[in-house]
Order: sequence, then C-alpha cells, then structure tokens
Amino acid sequence: MPYINSHSNSRYISAFDKWQEQKDFVKFTKDDEEALKKMHPTAMKYADDFVEKLYEHLMSHPDTKRFLSDEKTLNRLKLAQKAYFLDLTSGDYGEEYFNSRLKVGIVHQRIGLPPRIYMTTYCYYMQLIIPTIYGNPDFDAETANAIFMALYKIINLDQELAISAYIHATDEVISRQSEEIMEMSTPVIQIWDGVVAAPIIGTLDSGRTQQFMERLLEKIVETNSPVALVDITGVPQIDTATAQHLIDTINAVKLLGSQVIITGVRPVIAQTLVHLGIDLTDIITRPSMAAGLKVALDKLSIKVTDMSKTTQGS
Amino acid sequence: MGCENTGECHIGSEGDIVTCRKVIRNVATAAGFGMTDVTRIVTAVSELARNVYVHAESTGMMRWNILQQPGKVGIELIFEDQGKGIADIDQAMEAGFTTANSMGMGLSGVKRLMDEMLISSELGVGTTVRVVKWGRIK
Repeated sequence: MPYINSHSNSRYISAFDKWQEQKDFVKFTKDDEEALKKMHPTAMKYADDFVEKLYEHLMSHPDTKRFLSDEKTLNRLKLAQKAYFLDLTSGDYGEEYFNSRLKVGIVHQRIGLPPRIYMTTYCYYMQLIIPTIYGNPDFDAETANAIFMALYKIINLDQELAISAYIHATDEVISRQSEEIMEMSTPVIQIWDGVVAAPIIGTLDSGRTQQFMERLLEKIVETNSPVALVDITGVPQIDTATAQHLIDTINAVKLLGSQVIITGVRPVIAQTLVHLGIDLTDIITRPSMAAGLKVALDKLSIKVTDMSKTTQGS
Repeated sequence: MGCENTGECHIGSEGDIVTCRKVIRNVATAAGFGMTDVTRIVTAVSELARNVYVHAESTGMMRWNILQQPGKVGIELIFEDQGKGIADIDQAMEAGFTTANSMGMGLSGVKRLMDEMLISSELGVGTTVRVVKWGRIK
C-alpha cells in the first residue's frame, strides 16, 4: 500500500497526487463518477429533507447536541451539510473536492469533535441515503448496485481524508507543544549583575543542547556576564554524550571570556560521573545553586552583608 | 507499578533512548534497587542504547530480565544490533577509544557501572552487549 506508507513523509496529510493513487487503489473509476452523477437528481430532491432529519437526529443526542449551540451555527451548518451532500454526487472529484474533504477533518479537530461522532454520523447518513437508491423507480437493480458501490467508494475516500486531516492536525498540536516545552525547559535568566543562571530540566539531547547553548551564549553577551551558573539539579542522569554536550557548552562560554560553574551536582550524579571516567576537574562544580552563586559573587568581588542595615548589591 | 519481569524496547531513534531509560528506571526501581544503583543502571542503559543508535546502521533492541536469586535481585540488559560490528573489542573497551568522534568513555564506563559485562560482536553481522547489575534485597 504505497499511499499509506507515504504518511511518514507527508506528515499524515495526503498530498493531492497521492489521493489520485488512493482513488486508483479502491478502483474508483469514470464508471463510478457516472453512476454517482445519475444519483444527483435524487440527491437534489432529498437534500433538504436529509439535512433536516440528520440535524434532528444530532439534536436528539446530548453527545452531539453540545456542538450545535445556537440557531445561527445550526443554520450555517445545515447549509454546509447540504453542499457537502450534493458534492457527493456532483461527478467532479478533483482538487476542489479533495480540499473540501480535508477541511472537514481539520475543522472538526479544531472544535474538538471526536472522530467517533464524525464516523457514526456518516453511518446514520448512509441509512437515509440507501433506501433512496434501492427504492428508486428510476434505477434498475444493476444501476442501483453500481450507484451503491460508487457511493461506498467515495464515502470511504472521504472518511480517509477526514481522518488523515484529524491526525495531521493533532500531530501539529503535539509538535508545537513539544517546541514550547523545549523553550520553557531551558530558560536562561540573569540573577545578579554579571551572573546568569540556566537551570536544565530533563535530558540534554543533541537538539536541545544546540538550542540551550545558543540561548546561554546570547544571554551572556547581552548581559555582559562574566559568570554563568548551569544548574543540573533537574537532570536525572548524565551519560558520556550528555557530559560531552556540557563540556562543549562550557568551552563555548570560555571563548566569550566568561566562566561556567556547574551547580546542582547530586551525590548519585557525582558517583556515576566518576565511574564513567569523565574528568571534570578543570570545571568548578558545586552541589547547589546557592553554593555556586557564592562562588560567582566571590569572583566578581561582591560582598553580600547580612540584614539590619541594607543588603549591599553590586 | 506492576512492572513485568521481562520485556523489550526497540531502538531506532534518539527518542527511543529516552524511552529505554524511562522503562528501565521504572523496572529497576520496582525491583527494589536503591537510587544510586538505579542511576548507575539508567546511565549504563543510556550509553548502550546510544551505541546501538549511533553505530547500528539498521535498528536494534534492548531486552531486559529481572533475575531472582536467594538474597539478591539482578537486572540483566541485553542490547542487540545488526550494525557493522566491533573490530577489536579490547580496544573498544579502552577509555578514550572512539570511532564516532565522541568521548570514547562509554563502554569502559559501563563496565565500571555494572557488575557483569559481556560483548560479542561479528564484523558485518552485529553486536550483542549483555550487562547485569546485582542488588541486595532490602
């Protein structure tokens, strides 16, 4: 199934040319288009009635009713629904059709309508449509079967597009959130005139190190800070790759003429680092950020005196 | 936590290294290892899973087993890949030796973090690394 495999490249959304392949795959042919066109007059005749029945059905269930809050929305949806229904038998299944079906999934995802409701509503829809095919005096048995089969294919294609769009939209939300989390989890803040602090939470993988290093270097230059505290309290374990990332960062900071103090070195981390044989003897390390700040203030020849009078800043 | 006594994780991306660590952290904690040992085990997992990810051209696997013996509990971790293999295992175990432009401390470090370590490798076929950590039952 070449179409389904292509999902990884296209991030779940079906490119239009892939949809052509999909049509070929389900053997949706010119004959099917012709069969659906034969259904069009019937569709025109019943469209308003179907839409009314469909919304009556939706309004009678609390699960679906909550999406149909006010009269205005309802009327707009009914019009859209009618157009959607008539499109099914329009005979034109090109790019415009493709885009309108994708949009259905995207819009539904945005308003939080679960695919479950979309699918079951479609099932109800079919129950309205099928009797008008087989009970139709204009169609002989063969024509009715051809129309049914064509309708089945196009609805399957419709549903696939909508579901792919659903997945794609959800996927986009996830990737946006993970970017946000990444940004949030590597803040670089100035905590004293001349001292910036960067608490690292979680794991330092190569992607994050790059981002973290950029932000740290920028902040050091921006604030003209001679000392940077990199706090690893929130790093669950440090392996050689993470240690290498840290050392790279420290070396880059050195090139700017500033110095890094690693703080928040927990006893378990200290032990594993020694076992791993990682040499951090050239680097100033402290068990807590408070201890690191003290070292930083000493380096800047800043003395903080205790209370009663005033706390002396820089 | 309801952890199983055995299981496996697929290693095909950098994200899978994170998954391996998370799984083993839970498994080792549930098995009764103390925090220091858990950190050692998870660090070793991180090293070995990264080796699979970096060196194996195709993908690899991590399998784990909880070993029960009178008075002690163990965790056995087996990393398998179908990569290019290691030419000289003794050399690979030396601190500072690397073919990947990294620190070269990984394998020698893992040996110190764990209690048992066995590497078998065939050029062009793949590499299997088996490590075990023992802990006392509290």
